[in-house]
Amino acid sequence: MKSTSLPLLLLAVLSAGRLAALPAFQAPAPPHGVVLAPDLRRAAYRARIDEVLAWQVSQVNPAHPEAINLPALIGLLASHHAPDLASRRVIEMMRDPGSGPFWMLPLVAVTYLGRDQLTPAAQVALRDSWRHVMQMRGDTENHFAMYYASLYLISQFYPHEPGASWYTGRSSEESLAESRDYLIHWMDLTTTIGQGEFNPTGYITEYAIPMLYLATWAQDPAMRQRAHLTLDWLFADLAAHTLNGELSAPNARTTDTAVLEHSNDKSAFYGWLLFGNIPPISFLDGFGVYFSAAAKNYELPEVIYRIAVDRTGDYVQRDLKRTRRRWRNSDVLMAPIYKTTYMRRDYVVGSYQGGMADPIQTHVWDVTWAVPDPRGVHNTMFSMHPTSSAYDMQTYDAELPGGLVKRVTQQLKPLYDSPDKFLGGSRFERVFQDLDTIVALYAIPPGTRFPHINGFFSKDLVHLTEDKSGWIFAQGGRAYLAYRPLASYTWVPAGKGDRRLYSPHLHNGTILQAASVDEFPDFAAFQAAIKALPLEFALDPVPTVRLRTLRGKNVVFTYGQAPVVDGVPVDYSKWKLFEGPYLNAEKGSRVLTITHGPLRRVLDFNTLTISDSVQDGPGVGEAP
Amino acid sequence: MKIIRSSLTWLALLAGGRAAPAAPAHDMYLCLTVGDGYVVGAKVTTQNGIFRRGDDGSLRHLSINYPGIFALAFDPRDPRWFYAASINGCLQTSDGGASWRIATGWDETEPKDVRVDPGLPDRVYLALPDGIEVSTDRGAHWVRREHGLPDRGKYTQVLGVDRTGTGRVLAGCESGIYLTEDGAQSWRRVFRAKATVDDIEQSPHDPARWLAATEGDGALVSRDRGLTWERIPGLPSAAALYNVAFDPLDPRRCAVGSYTYGVLTTEDGGATWLDRNAGLPAEHHVLRVGVDPDDGRLYAGVYDEALYVSGDFGRTWRRDGLEVSRIYNFIFVPKAAPGAAVPAPRP
Repeated sequence: MKSTSLPLLLLAVLSAGRLAALPAFQAPAPPHGVVLAPDLRRAAYRARIDEVLAWQVSQVNPAHPEAINLPALIGLLASHHAPDLASRRVIEMMRDPGSGPFWMLPLVAVTYLGRDQLTPAAQVALRDSWRHVMQMRGDTENHFAMYYASLYLISQFYPHEPGASWYTGRSSEESLAESRDYLIHWMDLTTTIGQGEFNPTGYITEYAIPMLYLATWAQDPAMRQRAHLTLDWLFADLAAHTLNGELSAPNARTTDTAVLEHSNDKSAFYGWLLFGNIPPISFLDGFGVYFSAAAKNYELPEVIYRIAVDRTGDYVQRDLKRTRRRWRNSDVLMAPIYKTTYMRRDYVVGSYQGGMADPIQTHVWDVTWAVPDPRGVHNTMFSMHPTSSAYDMQTYDAELPGGLVKRVTQQLKPLYDSPDKFLGGSRFERVFQDLDTIVALYAIPPGTRFPHINGFFSKDLVHLTEDKSGWIFAQGGRAYLAYRPLASYTWVPAGKGDRRLYSPHLHNGTILQAASVDEFPDFAAFQAAIKALPLEFALDPVPTVRLRTLRGKNVVFTYGQAPVVDGVPVDYSKWKLFEGPYLNAEKGSRVLTITHGPLRRVLDFNTLTISDSVQDGPGVGEAP
Repeated sequence: MKIIRSSLTWLALLAGGRAAPAAPAHDMYLCLTVGDGYVVGAKVTTQNGIFRRGDDGSLRHLSINYPGIFALAFDPRDPRWFYAASINGCLQTSDGGASWRIATGWDETEPKDVRVDPGLPDRVYLALPDGIEVSTDRGAHWVRREHGLPDRGKYTQVLGVDRTGTGRVLAGCESGIYLTEDGAQSWRRVFRAKATVDDIEQSPHDPARWLAATEGDGALVSRDRGLTWERIPGLPSAAALYNVAFDPLDPRRCAVGSYTYGVLTTEDGGATWLDRNAGLPAEHHVLRVGVDPDDGRLYAGVYDEALYVSGDFGRTWRRDGLEVSRIYNFIFVPKAAPGAAVPAPRP
């Protein structure tokens, strides 16, 4: 155990210059290049981890130990700083333990990181905290992932203890077995029919951290391997769906902030930490520290890194995901989500077929354009129907209807019941995407709360033009954008210079097409090209669109019917779990093949193997 | 005061039932959360979970501080042995709440109701968002018992165990009311509902009589042990009714609780229903009503407000503590000596 005098002095010095944000957030945006040398890449990764931990330690003021919270404790212990201070604080905090997965997970980290640092009294206090306080398991998949990873690891840490010594009333071995069963069940779902809370801008961390902890601390090699496989799986999914580190749409769950500014959520932290190509988020709450505390036990495979940062061309990635469990109001427990992502150097268009993946925080589609520095930039465009409905809440929540909407607005989602919000899916939206064309149709029943759609028009657009043809043209970064509302609208200020296209029609629609500035001599040529494309539409009896896309596809899309492309109906039943140049997996397979150039990694949950291979030939960075 | 008249005098027969027996002394238990800001992940800063009302009217918090307990069920042989339907699953205690065991596993989440079969009290039924489970060994093991329930539409909010027949249970589900007469080995639908059935209660006066509260069909009555059901036309149905409560002391009196309509009562066997919200908060969002079997006092849990009590069956109300609470359930448990085979009447 280290002496405490030097660290305490260090803490005092650091505290005097307390930082408002992680240094990397205040620094210039990182370049978008590729670090080819593995040793340099690894060193940069470890330096970023060290930056997080040092930043966290710098926030600790030894003169005010009462302000030391779980992230601070973890920062201290991961940095091997001030174990006596940490021990005293642990004892204080365990007098009034918290509850639930958000408490349990960091407590597991404190327990493991502190096992050779904390005083015996502190370790006793930690153990005692698990005896009587009933830990809330929660009701979402991220809650369960954190809860059962925590219960698994803490049961493992204190083996052979009887039920009477645990809040569960179950022995260590019983809880370990239950946790193992759930974790395998969740991994099985994810690797056969897709992740539930897919591509979340924030909740990625609620999966990444428990998997990292299991990969680090599980004694069972099989569980450790499963967690490692899952981490690779999650980060491969992230890598393929980021544009310069920004996670693209669609997202099962995001936030009112991140839906407009995708880089302003925790997924950007992982982009920064793992890929090094985006600034971290400004507000680094405990989750960045929780991951960093064990992050040196994981190394991102080069093949995933390269997918994120080294792309030679456009690509389409199609994925199969699933909704959150629908307890009611649905023919299926978990409905399939058919995702499409078209990634280009200058922008990305992403969507799924519409409907709700989650009752509150779903983001169904958008175009997001590349920017050199995403901080504060609202580099996206989309439309949506703002849903506020106890019926929809009840579909996913085992609750009585009264007060449900009010309660959601009290629970960190204050805009849920706001007509001008931009976040949320709708049962009355259907979406089809072909490359960089989106058709979104709406058939909102009379009597629906908020009978209108909102279109998001960013403050960061330039050259916005309302053409007499009905198209709205604009440029975002190096992307030309064409947005066609299918019904009349007005403009409403949306704060920070953004604007909301407000279209109060029950039957409605949006067509969006995008192109790179490199594809046209000028903006006028892009507009002329769009206007020259055949387009017919009708809104009654249900919205229907017949158009030719900028890419020459003839699309017919009618609300409630399968889209038809060049005369062929789209058959979603053939959708694979992953299909694209980088990620491929068959539905039900439990096997993901990750490919980039000559690099290939196969994650096989059937055999619990990770298979790496390299196709021999001219090396990366070498002349062919 | 709004007066709702029913042309259906379905409760008239109740008045002809046996007179209310001398009530045993009961303990009142409440399942509730306090405070309007709790979300998973937040620090629990208030006392939540199970409260017991003492004979002096005081409310005592029992054991775990847990903001997600929705229902309780007691083993009639031993009031220290009871079950709680909670977000974590079914919790079980054998020492009056001093210690608990999570009786179910990862595959059972957010049960909304739990009931003990009074005729065979080792048997416990659990209402889950995705069906129904049964334990035949006091919660040690659980099995799905859903034969006859639909694949979809089996969200189960409430269970009603017929005290007259072992293994006879009614289940309030999304798609209707289901009946089993063989301990949940098989179910059959006895009422098709538009939306979830939120409560099913058996009359303490006439075991053939049942009432149900629904989210889409108003209130229902059955006079034949739950085999057939019909709407009570005098009660509204445009919005959800949450629960029904018989007065164990007076067969003519019943109450209905509703987030939208507040408290509705009848004192003439269902011929007339009265809006009894005067004295409650203006919005009178009622989560639960219950009637004390000892003295006939009517309780109402008003959403995010408090517990209210009325000594005159809703004519006047008095605020009775539990400020800013959400009361999910009232249970009145006989102060029975351990070993006495006394079934616990429901409100």
